[in-house]
Amino acid sequence: MSIVIPPPPDFTSHEEEVPEFNSGTSSRSWYHYVLIVASLLFAAVSVGFIGTILWNAWPEITHHSGTLLTKNGWQSPLGPFGGLAMIVGTLETSLVALIIAVIIGLGTSISIVFILPRRFRNIAATLVELLAAVPSVVYGLWGFLVLAPWMLNTVIPWLNSWPFAKDIWGNPGQQDGQSLLLASIVLGVMILPTFVAISREVISVVPNDLIEASLSLGATRWQMIREVILPTAKIGLFGATFLALARATGETVAVALVAGGVANVQSHLLYPGTSIASWIATEFGEAQGNEIAALMALGILLMLLNFGLSLISRWLVGRQRKVLAVV
Amino acid sequence: MSEIIELQEPVETGHQMRDEIRQISDRVRARRQIRSRIMVVLCGTAFLISAVPLVLLLFQLFDRGLPVVLHTSFYTQLPSTPTLISPNATGGVSNAIIGTLVLTLYASIMAIPVGVLVGVYLAESDSKLAASLRVISQTMAGAPSILMGLFAFSFVVRDLGIGFSALAGSFALAVLMLPVIIISSEIAVRGVPHTLREAGLALGAKPHKVSMKIVLPAAVTGIVTGIILAMSRAIGETAPVLLVIGGGYINSWKPLDPVAALPLSIYENAKSEWPSLRTEVWGIALVLVVFVFVLSLSARMWASRKQQAR
Amino acid sequence: MDQEFMAQVEAVVETPNEAPVRGTAAMQLKGVAVSFHGRTAVRDCTFDVTKNRVTSLIGPSGSGKTTLLRALNRLHDLTPGAKVAGQILLEGTDIYRGDITVTELRTRVGMVFQRPNPFPTMSIYENAVSGLRFNGIKKKSILDEAAEASLKSAALWDSVQGRLKVAASNLSGGEQQRLCIARALAMDPEVLLMDEPTSALDPIATLKIEELMTELKKRVTVIIVTHNMQQAARISDDCAFLLMGEDRAGELIEFETTEKIFNNPIDPRTLDYTLGRFG
Repeated sequence: MSIVIPPPPDFTSHEEEVPEFNSGTSSRSWYHYVLIVASLLFAAVSVGFIGTILWNAWPEITHHSGTLLTKNGWQSPLGPFGGLAMIVGTLETSLVALIIAVIIGLGTSISIVFILPRRFRNIAATLVELLAAVPSVVYGLWGFLVLAPWMLNTVIPWLNSWPFAKDIWGNPGQQDGQSLLLASIVLGVMILPTFVAISREVISVVPNDLIEASLSLGATRWQMIREVILPTAKIGLFGATFLALARATGETVAVALVAGGVANVQSHLLYPGTSIASWIATEFGEAQGNEIAALMALGILLMLLNFGLSLISRWLVGRQRKVLAVV
Repeated sequence: MSEIIELQEPVETGHQMRDEIRQISDRVRARRQIRSRIMVVLCGTAFLISAVPLVLLLFQLFDRGLPVVLHTSFYTQLPSTPTLISPNATGGVSNAIIGTLVLTLYASIMAIPVGVLVGVYLAESDSKLAASLRVISQTMAGAPSILMGLFAFSFVVRDLGIGFSALAGSFALAVLMLPVIIISSEIAVRGVPHTLREAGLALGAKPHKVSMKIVLPAAVTGIVTGIILAMSRAIGETAPVLLVIGGGYINSWKPLDPVAALPLSIYENAKSEWPSLRTEVWGIALVLVVFVFVLSLSARMWASRKQQAR
Repeated sequence: MDQEFMAQVEAVVETPNEAPVRGTAAMQLKGVAVSFHGRTAVRDCTFDVTKNRVTSLIGPSGSGKTTLLRALNRLHDLTPGAKVAGQILLEGTDIYRGDITVTELRTRVGMVFQRPNPFPTMSIYENAVSGLRFNGIKKKSILDEAAEASLKSAALWDSVQGRLKVAASNLSGGEQQRLCIARALAMDPEVLLMDEPTSALDPIATLKIEELMTELKKRVTVIIVTHNMQQAARISDDCAFLLMGEDRAGELIEFETTEKIFNNPIDPRTLDYTLGRFG
């Protein structure tokens, strides 16, 4: 609707009408109306999305937000509903997952763009996309039925064999090997494709010019990557990081299956814990009244966290585009 | 006549630093090359590491799930609960298969028309509404899927009084699919060369006819790809439907009935005490993964083939 | 005229691709050909680039000038399927098969590109010394001295000396290109390759860089690709004229001093080009 060119004055359309001069966005065809209606419908759905949850959560937010944010311990069915363990669990698992995903993901992106021969690039990219397509419940299943036993039977005994194990690790291996650490690992695998997809995009659009210039000065391949590509793409890489972090915060069923579902702030990651999303998923089925409101309030908290991170990521990727436009 | 070229006496200036520079750089060169090789190998290793989970997962899926999916009863029977007498009587997952199909169908009906239209609007309009909707849809695309379940619970199950039903689940999935379809439709329409639109307008056609008859058909590939990917995502999601579909144990197509879903069956039975059920979920997971892979890969292949045909 | 002398003249005239020997050769090309996946892009290039002179590669687009230039610092190593045949000697060493690594070669043969491409995240100073840094030189005194020397050689020192830490993107197009020249010169290379360095610049900036050439050639040997033959006539001492043949591969038609190419070329096609009959 923004590109409108008036037809020449003496031309008549095959509908035998005098052509109109349409200007700007004030076109009056039914097509335009249909689009607007659909858009308003979507807007309504989005507002409803935020609004309904907020509405349901309101009583808890206004009266008990302090408890929700700071208290440890969730007493169904009447309260108090302390969300501290969920918040801490979400932050811990997401951050550890992020570290895993960024370290391996950055190496993967660099490999795909600069190291792998061109023929393999497509296969490699497809591989990473397939990783992204796997449903989260399948990751959770794999984590619970394969990784958890492995942790329980192999890793934890090994950790317990260390000198002073009791002092360092305490008593890991509860809940069949489910733990925040396991959840972090599974999450890391799940957000890896997100990070790789964006970082790949960001480092591959660094102009060829710069690559050739650096190599023409005698730089080695790694120097080219480290001194030219990465600094130029730095903002976009941060954008990829924030988006991957956002995704990690929102993961529900995979975490629910492997984190252990214990609503208590733990001393370290080898113990079972929970996250906001997985707690909502597990508790909602049996919840009534006030507890529903409390869970909805947790939902609002999750929404704020996730949306905030998403928006920061968007802003960063937008800034990155501007950097490259100047080059 | 051949000339004898006069030699221009070269006036060489400013090379005092050359020797020093070359000396240092020669000394360091080998070390730099080694470091570059090491880092390259490390990056390649990272790539291999990222492939490991997928390989391991696929192996487990086929190893544990293949025996399960090779029985027709898996697809045709309703689930049953194992007992001490018959610990392997898990039945099948026909209700979940039907349920997933039902949910995806209804969700698509709700999400595709609206999603495509909004995507087209975003591509063609500069208004503030369009700009805000773009931000909203991108943010919603990354939103935690459990929130869609909460939304569907409040709105469909409670406020509309419909209760736990396929409709509620479809609604949640539709909200999930909408942003994906919007974003990919916008990209598809924007990807149509604007010369095409201008040519149509220059021939005197009205703008909306140009959009409908020239631009949209050209964008169909991208739009369909987006729809397929959205559907593929909806099929695999557990959290949106977890809270609202009610876990029906019969095969039903009615929107108001409770219904089952494949990912939900996995979630519910993963921690079952019965080994037979725990094995069965691998079969369900295998079916789910194969289906989702086929959808993703065909969407990708179709999109690239159409790209080449251009 | 003396018979013997005439024979000598004819010998020279009939071998247009072998230039009469003049000063020392900075680089020598012998039968150089570049192909991509088997398809020849340029072939039969044999000439010597004399030290401290500006040699230009001229010809219409598609004649392989840039392809040939990029073979001289082994940039084609980056292109899969690219093959460089023949011999390219840098002060006697075969740059492809001889005892010289690619990284060392590129410190001795620098390159300036068509569009100014300073590193966007680096300041003016950092851009100027980036080559030195890449090659492992960290001592501030050397870097400072090299920065000043190279920026002076690029006629940029006066205008930037007070704002060396400023981001390079703040400079105008012409200044950015001179920064790129400084960057390439900081390593004190023997040869400077320039790929249409002024085609993206306005006339004033172009003039400034052309004026630079006479000073530049005292320090380095310059090989420049240009599609602007007036520019070639203005700044170069020797010219290599390339033309695309029927098989779409470029070939060297003639290599002579600029004066001869433009006033009295041997090959009629050269005359056609310089008179603007095609291009």
